[in-house]
Amino acid sequence: MARDKIYLEEVFPSPFMQHWQIFRKTPVAMAGFSCFIFLIVLAIFGPILAPHSPVEGQLDMLLLPPAWHADGNVSYLLGTDELGRDMLSRLMYGTSLTFGLSFVVVITSLIVGVVIGSLSALTTGLKSSFLNHFLDVILSIPSLLLAIIIVAILGPGINNTVWAVVMVLIPQFIHITRYAVKEESRKDYVLASRLDGASKFRILYYSIFPNIVDRIMSQATLAQSAAILDIATLGFLGLGAQIPLPEWGATLANGLDLFYIAPWTVYLPGLAILFAVVATNLVGEGIRHALKLRKDR
Amino acid sequence: MKSMNNVTNLLSSCLGALLLLGCNNESIVSLSEHSVIYCAEGSPETFNPQLVTSGTTIDATSNQLYDRLIAYKGKENKLVPALAKSWHVTRDGKKVTFYLRKNVAFHQTEYFTPSRFLNADDVMFSFNRILDSQHPFHWVSGGNYPFFQNIGLNDLIEDVEKINEYTVRFHLSHADSSFLANLATDFAIILSAEYAQQLMQQKVKANIDTFPIGTGPFKLKEYRVGSLIRFYRHEQYWQPPAQIEQLVYDITPSNTGRLTKLLAKECDVTAYPIAHEKITQHKDLTLEAVTALNVGYFGFNVNKPPFDNKLVRQAVSYAINKQVLLDAVYQGKAELANSLLPKTSWAYNENVQEQEFNPILAKSLLEVAGYAQGFSMDLWAMPVQRPYNPNAITMAKLIQADLKNIGIKVTIVSYEWNAFLHRLQLGEHQSFLLGWSADHPDPDNFFSPMLSCSATQTGSNTTFWCNQEYDDIIQKALQTTNTKVRKKHYAQAMKILAQEVPLIPIAHSKRYQARGNNVTGQVLAPFGGINFYPVAKNGVLQNNRIIESDDDDFDEVEHHNDSDTEVGEN
Amino acid sequence: MLIFTLRRLSLFIFTMILLTVLSFSLSFLFPGDALVNMSGAINATPAQLTNLQQSYQTQSNIFWQYIVYLEHIINGNLGISMASQSDIGKEILSLLPATIELSLAALFVAMLIGIPLGFIAAIKHNKATDNIILSVSMLGYSIPVFWLGLLAILTFSITLGWFPSAGKISLLFEIELITGIQFIDILLSDSPYKWQAFSDATAHIILPAFVVAMAPATIFIRLARTSMIEVLETSYIKAANAKGLTFQQIIFRHAIRNALIKIIRHVGLQFANLITIAMVTEVIFSWPGIGRWLIESIYHRDYTAIQSGLLVLSCFIFVVHIFTDFIYAALNPLARGK
Repeated sequence: MARDKIYLEEVFPSPFMQHWQIFRKTPVAMAGFSCFIFLIVLAIFGPILAPHSPVEGQLDMLLLPPAWHADGNVSYLLGTDELGRDMLSRLMYGTSLTFGLSFVVVITSLIVGVVIGSLSALTTGLKSSFLNHFLDVILSIPSLLLAIIIVAILGPGINNTVWAVVMVLIPQFIHITRYAVKEESRKDYVLASRLDGASKFRILYYSIFPNIVDRIMSQATLAQSAAILDIATLGFLGLGAQIPLPEWGATLANGLDLFYIAPWTVYLPGLAILFAVVATNLVGEGIRHALKLRKDR
Repeated sequence: MKSMNNVTNLLSSCLGALLLLGCNNESIVSLSEHSVIYCAEGSPETFNPQLVTSGTTIDATSNQLYDRLIAYKGKENKLVPALAKSWHVTRDGKKVTFYLRKNVAFHQTEYFTPSRFLNADDVMFSFNRILDSQHPFHWVSGGNYPFFQNIGLNDLIEDVEKINEYTVRFHLSHADSSFLANLATDFAIILSAEYAQQLMQQKVKANIDTFPIGTGPFKLKEYRVGSLIRFYRHEQYWQPPAQIEQLVYDITPSNTGRLTKLLAKECDVTAYPIAHEKITQHKDLTLEAVTALNVGYFGFNVNKPPFDNKLVRQAVSYAINKQVLLDAVYQGKAELANSLLPKTSWAYNENVQEQEFNPILAKSLLEVAGYAQGFSMDLWAMPVQRPYNPNAITMAKLIQADLKNIGIKVTIVSYEWNAFLHRLQLGEHQSFLLGWSADHPDPDNFFSPMLSCSATQTGSNTTFWCNQEYDDIIQKALQTTNTKVRKKHYAQAMKILAQEVPLIPIAHSKRYQARGNNVTGQVLAPFGGINFYPVAKNGVLQNNRIIESDDDDFDEVEHHNDSDTEVGEN
Repeated sequence: MLIFTLRRLSLFIFTMILLTVLSFSLSFLFPGDALVNMSGAINATPAQLTNLQQSYQTQSNIFWQYIVYLEHIINGNLGISMASQSDIGKEILSLLPATIELSLAALFVAMLIGIPLGFIAAIKHNKATDNIILSVSMLGYSIPVFWLGLLAILTFSITLGWFPSAGKISLLFEIELITGIQFIDILLSDSPYKWQAFSDATAHIILPAFVVAMAPATIFIRLARTSMIEVLETSYIKAANAKGLTFQQIIFRHAIRNALIKIIRHVGLQFANLITIAMVTEVIFSWPGIGRWLIESIYHRDYTAIQSGLLVLSCFIFVVHIFTDFIYAALNPLARGK
């Protein structure tokens, strides 16, 4: 319900909006952000937009080079693989697998991690110390190694990969949330609302969260780029997505046997991964840059 | 350009040693000049070819470590003397006598020093180990001798008799025209009885198959599982010693890995190369092919419905477009198979009808068989690359598409290679993609081990198809040496197969190998394993090695068949 | 320092217990029989099984079983591989040094490239050089390591022919395994081709080491840049500046030393990261290390190997972690109190 403004009021944008104001003035970050949005759109609509099936091949169109090559065919813009499957369609479907899944993974682990992290920030004493130790140990193991360990236990497959990466990312979110909440709680404005008699959860929700959301976002972009790389690496090693799923890493591994006769089957998925990670990292850089500027103000 | 590369190469390799020493190129060149690195596709299961049928193991062992009594030679695959300098077959074909070569030395290694030359005891030991279940070494390593069990050697050989130190006689229960051919295969190798004796005393009998001792041109130096096999030259070889001092098998299961190593000059010879164009374009590399005697096929388990019905099998055979399979899987580099036998075999019958591609006929056959609505089935595709089928998974996907057209839903199944073979033998499958590479040029090597009733027992006939009429015909074909009569029998057998369709032959493929141009000598053979004995490096010119006979009484002994008298001691 | 040591020791013990409990419970979590998973004896006869039951005390309660399991590990008995039936302890002992060798070489490369670049970026803070270095480092951080490895092989081994593409030494050289660290083994060997082997081994390690070093180097760039910027803003630098020292004197005498100490702290964490990247790189360069072996064990579902391999690897990473903590504490007295 819109309310007409009767008198002039100085508008204080929320911390998130302040952040966005700075962010959108950085051209590189905005470029990364548009790519990021593009990838999300592709991940959702890719399967509808793809011109061919990613699994069924055209038997008279084996190993067609990309269209700009002399032997290329315009209806197969990025060429085909050894079974006549259109590379473009495979990459588009792959967007929903590699990029889309990593996005879902990050959102899931973000929610779980933030909830656990903020609850644990409210605890003190032995429980807290144990959690500290435990997080220290878990965080000292690199995410990919941890993902490999979890897949080793669960067995190869795309579902297990997703679970593994979720489990790997949760501790990172717990850690960052816990740290940020603890830091914020010491500040005066939190003390003020505590003196007002606000409950713990009310403080958490109304006072602290708006002020730490940018830090969590920044962590989310880091997690996203790690998730893309982890899913693709596991797919490449044959521990993640299994044939015939067009996951980027698995597509690249599938192209390995053709490396010397059809190099595009290796170059293209690699470029796709690189593009997705760079876009994510640019967004992350933009957020961190804005964060720094806002603090410096 | 090339010299540029060499310079940079030199620079980079010197970089590391720069601080410590200057470059001393002479010795490194001499080391690689006398060594050959072979990129192999897998690890051998054992070092004794008697125990296996797997091509990978044969490639790594037979011709390198061992010798046989007799061998194949030349384009016509004539039998020639090897460890036996001559042999004699009685007219009834029931007694075969071998006269052994003298002064044949066994390998001297870190684990064994021979005190005597090869004699009749070694031959007796090698065969009795297979034949006699009471033999102290029979059950070492499991007691399975698949090749010999498939050909029924147990029933064929009644006795092996030592006539004197250098003469051995085989007593056969009936004449068998493929007996000599079987003895010349890669499986019929000669072990050292003296070494076995030593192992018995040391109570490590199993070492006979893992630390091999033979008479072959190379001896084993080192084996690291899954990584490398190192052979050194056998200096006291009974023929002139091999030209290369060191032979290393670099075990590289990845197809791309093998090609990369070849292109980066890290191997001299590589097995089963992919990307043939890339190799033929490269000026320093040669792609070789031999027309191997093999067949890749699509088999049915006739014990499982619906493939117990002949009509269903025929229907499927009409529904498959073999030409497409040939183009996509073999890149058009194989011959379309109409029967088990390749066209190069002398027993091939030109009248075998060509299998036509006719989905409409297939559909109507299915209706007659009572499967008008189609059915679903599983198709087992082998996980590895073999000469007869370079990519079974791709082939399975194509067959899946073909069969969908006549209403059959195909699920593709694949297991790790050893598990795959094991489960096939248990008969868990409905249909499967596999193949057969001949061990010797005799046509029987296709008909018996692949489809005879006895082969359903030993696990080499995984269609479990057993037809008495067919069995009788191939038995009859074995009992004569007259090739015309045999050819007639085999034509009849092929006719039965065309009617019964226990399997659909798909292609006869070549076996490929790639090597650097500085490696000379014939490594590939049309059947059986590879052989590094004739190989040399850096174009050092080789006079063609001819197996020399050290005794004057050697001539074409195999034609002595007309005499009934047994030649005694020489 | 004593309190610091005690704290680390307690953390170490805590972690070891956690890791061994995890590893112990894995044998129950994996499909199949726990005893077989633990020992790897898949083809054991009933008699051998009874023997194993005795040895692992499967009849007693779970806590006691764990103690017995610990005893086995301490004695170096990690079971046998389900796939190859060879002793896992021995296999790991021959493979782990190769991974360490590669990781150390990569760490060296990463530091050698990353730290100076980071310092340069910090000194040229907010200038074009800084931006270029940062952009390149982000690209290096984003590139998937397996793809980078493939491109490196294609360019440097095949097109240019400068470096070999696989393995850690040409197989023609027969070098006996003594320590497992190739370079030491070569120096210890009495092969007539010792120095050729040495230069060959050097040529073999360059490509994989650079590929592994790529991502950590970019992290070192960032670390070095941040810590140098911080140092340059401290008051002692300002004081030195006021004293009239030249810029170069300030950088080389004061700034670099203090900035380096902050970086060393992260080397331990980076080492773990390095080993993970090395695991993937080993697969591409057929480097005979523990990463490739572990990934192959996962393919083969060789549970005994996975279980023991993970335990050894994570223990190793943790030991390195603590070790670098000590070095840091020794170099920087301020950290000991923490």
